Amino acid sequence: MTIEFVNYKGKKVIALSGDIDMYSSPDLRKELMALIKKKASSLLIDFTSVSYIDSSGIATFVESLKYMKSYGGRLRLFCLPGRIVEIFRFSKLDRVFEIYGSIDDAIEG
Amino acid sequence: MEESVTVTVPSHPKYLSVIRAVTVRMAQLHEMPERVIDDIKLAVDEACSNVIKHAYKGETCRKITMTYTIKRGAFAVSIDDNGTKLTIEKMKGRSLDDVRPGGLGVHFIRRVFDVVELDDRKRRGNRLILIKYTGNK
Repeated sequence: MTIEFVNYKGKKVIALSGDIDMYSSPDLRKELMALIKKKASSLLIDFTSVSYIDSSGIATFVESLKYMKSYGGRLRLFCLPGRIVEIFRFSKLDRVFEIYGSIDDAIEG
Repeated sequence: MEESVTVTVPSHPKYLSVIRAVTVRMAQLHEMPERVIDDIKLAVDEACSNVIKHAYKGETCRKITMTYTIKRGAFAVSIDDNGTKLTIEKMKGRSLDDVRPGGLGVHFIRRVFDVVELDDRKRRGNRLILIKYTGNK
């Protein structure tokens, strides 16, 4: 998995790629928690190039969401591949996460 | 005809990608639908992650052995470790309505495999038996 910080229309976007699993999710957690500790008001996560996610990856996002909600921050996920949307749906997490089809929808959402 | 392939990897999370690759190839050889292959890949990954977390408590130099068996009408994976004994009760997972980190892996395993059992004949460690009935002749 790689984590890139990209600027899009003045917004900081976190673009992920590759597999998010028990091996890579601690790195992702570290990056997200560093931003959350600074009380980032909004995090935009680009899933376009994410090929796989397991329960440890999902747990990383659930934990991040809980922390962000505690101070009124927003965690927005966009461009999830169909297979990953299906995993969120099965886990009933599509009801708790803000999931968007495009980066512009995520920014405007 | 029954055919088996056995693969052993160290209990380091970096080898989960190897486990996933082998699992996908074995399921492809059984001509399973792509969607089912994806579900099996996730389930076997979760089962092996559980071994690392719970049976080996994070130790990365132990062994995990997967035996894939392709036989008429079924695709079976048995996962062996030599770690702390686990019980099927510990493999219940959280309610899907209880949104919190963790507890999803077991749901991913159970949603695709028709049989999810710990072999209680294994004296040291654990053997998790996963079977997917396929209807393939």
